[in-house]
Amino acid sequence: MELDNVTRPAGQAQPLSDEDKRFLGELVETNRTEHHGRVSYMDIMFELEHHYGNSLPGEVLGEVARLVGAPASQLNGFVTFYTMLSTEPRGQHVIRVCTSGPCHVTGAPSIVSELKRLLGVELGETTSDGMFTLEASSCLGICGVSPALMIDDDAYGNLTSGDLPRILAAKRVGGAQ
Amino acid sequence: MKLFSTQIVVPVDSNSVLQGALEVKHVLEEMIGTYNLGSQVSVVETGALGIYDQGVVLAVFPDDVYYGGVKPVDVQEIVTEHLLKGRVVSRLVIDRNLSNRRLVEKETGKSQQKIVLRNAGLIDPQSIDEYIARDGYGALAKALAMQPGEVIQILTDSKLQGRGGAGFPTGLKWGMVAKEQSDEKYIVCNADEGEPGTFKDRLILEGDPHSIVEAMTIAGYATGAHVGIAYVRGEYFMSIARLKKAIKDATEYGLLGKDVLGTGFQFDIEVYRGGGAYVCGEEFALLESIENRRGEPRNKPPFPPQQGLFGKPTVVNNVETFANVPPILLNGSDWFKSFGTPSSAGTKVFSLSGDIVNRGIVEAPLGVTLRELIYDFGGGVKGGKHIGFIQTGGSAGTVLTDKFLDVPLDFASMKTNNVSIGSGVILVASEDVPLLPFLAEVAHFFWHESCGKCTPCREGTLQVKTIMDTLVNRTADPASLQRLGKLLNTLNDTSFCGLGQAAPLAFESALRNFPEAFDRALAESHVPEACQEEG
Repeated sequence: MELDNVTRPAGQAQPLSDEDKRFLGELVETNRTEHHGRVSYMDIMFELEHHYGNSLPGEVLGEVARLVGAPASQLNGFVTFYTMLSTEPRGQHVIRVCTSGPCHVTGAPSIVSELKRLLGVELGETTSDGMFTLEASSCLGICGVSPALMIDDDAYGNLTSGDLPRILAAKRVGGAQ
Repeated sequence: MKLFSTQIVVPVDSNSVLQGALEVKHVLEEMIGTYNLGSQVSVVETGALGIYDQGVVLAVFPDDVYYGGVKPVDVQEIVTEHLLKGRVVSRLVIDRNLSNRRLVEKETGKSQQKIVLRNAGLIDPQSIDEYIARDGYGALAKALAMQPGEVIQILTDSKLQGRGGAGFPTGLKWGMVAKEQSDEKYIVCNADEGEPGTFKDRLILEGDPHSIVEAMTIAGYATGAHVGIAYVRGEYFMSIARLKKAIKDATEYGLLGKDVLGTGFQFDIEVYRGGGAYVCGEEFALLESIENRRGEPRNKPPFPPQQGLFGKPTVVNNVETFANVPPILLNGSDWFKSFGTPSSAGTKVFSLSGDIVNRGIVEAPLGVTLRELIYDFGGGVKGGKHIGFIQTGGSAGTVLTDKFLDVPLDFASMKTNNVSIGSGVILVASEDVPLLPFLAEVAHFFWHESCGKCTPCREGTLQVKTIMDTLVNRTADPASLQRLGKLLNTLNDTSFCGLGQAAPLAFESALRNFPEAFDRALAESHVPEACQEEG
């Protein structure tokens, strides 16, 4: 059931502690109750990303697969399909900058290039200090205030390039959760 | 219930929070305390008013005065001048007609009845009592006193069509599920709003979540289902929280659960979250996702009304479709048909975005024109510029010139005028926005969002993106437009699901309406030598 060879570079996988196992067991059971005997992988995965620093370690997925009684391959297929989920390590904060039509028309291309410049990374990369991962996103559904982006669960709208240093600095300070 | 002489409405939704609505509301409440107005003035948090480019908006009733661009420092002046002395603070006043509250009245001249957005901006969406005070759950009570077949008949007579983009008759769909014999059936609300430029479902869920709870319960009764599932976009945190609270409150009031309104009818609703996949707006992909699988579409037929969620008969309706159901049951099908056009009854919620003065959501009767939406309600193009192009219906929608401004928008307009209405996106780009890079972005979007299940879509969207990139970079080879045309036909004819079938719309319509942009790119292109040798 171990997925570490699939989802993480070898060497980073660590065996799960008893505390991890207890946490995962409770998480799955709570979810099962909430969904009247079924489980929602998506709910569980979002909780896990919060808990394990914005990515899903292979050994954790293996344990969850065991708990829900599904093949590990099914879970792996699931998490690699959805863009909000990641099996690759990500930074402390995930920046999702919208590049879809309405944001494109109102200036997203310059927002993206300014973010790349400020952070020194390309789309899909993480800053060397592990603080930010920069991702392009499809429409975030806040087109009334485009161009827009989300950092973690927080949305920012009506952006200009000049707003970005302040937004990043505030996240940096708020940094270690 | 306490009575107040003055009510100040503060729209709190995802958009207004970004502009500081919560800070303004906080200061306002403090000031009202400071000036001892707590017994006369109530501050009501509400959903979207539909005004976005005016900063934080406050609406004062019964005075019917709208303030815009309100900063925390302005609040004291509003309190001391307006509330204490009755003098309107004119420097902050905005045109109240910007609010979509009055749009239906303006359009039909018949009634100021808003249908889908009837409560948004008027009630506290987190208060079940306020929803009930506005006839909330009245339609459910009425439905439960009827035979399920009668409920479906009213919907069928109303000619309500699905608001998610396909326009399938809602009554027909419910009737198909009702006549299936099955031990389990499901009611699914598609709130995986992902069409770029659409943000109406978010504002309906944030502004009036109980309307969805009520409508799903009615659907359950009409079709014989006992479980409802709302599948909400993962990013819509506020929608999810408000919907969950609405479900909890309705359950406590006996409006959901084992014995709905004491009739013995059982219905429960659960919320599932999406994970950022556009294809999950496709109904079968959405059902697959609820079943904990990759969001890939299934073969049709059988359709969801026969074999949907967990293989059982399933109603899948869009948020806006559900929001229409309670008013139709309360007011009757003839009332509903009095709005709209002969082919398309009722209203549509449009999302206005891009280079437009008043971006936001607007509810107008079907048959409204782009000119009315963009100029009357939207306030025109920003900076007084000309329209470069308009995209209607979303990324899977048509790209138009301003020659189309007077086409009436309804479910027939695609057939009659090649103007798609889709989920109600109106994206305006000024003359300064170059068309081809925009289309390249649309191509990139479809390539990224293709689920990869079928070859035409997986490979076709990549090829469309590649050709668009070469047109933008002026490295297109002379045959590329012919190849693009053939590719678009193949995508449309052979893709497995609606995503691939609808992806060509933007490009086909752009080729038809803006041929000169493509011709110019081709004329200016130089094929790099390396490619010539290979090719």
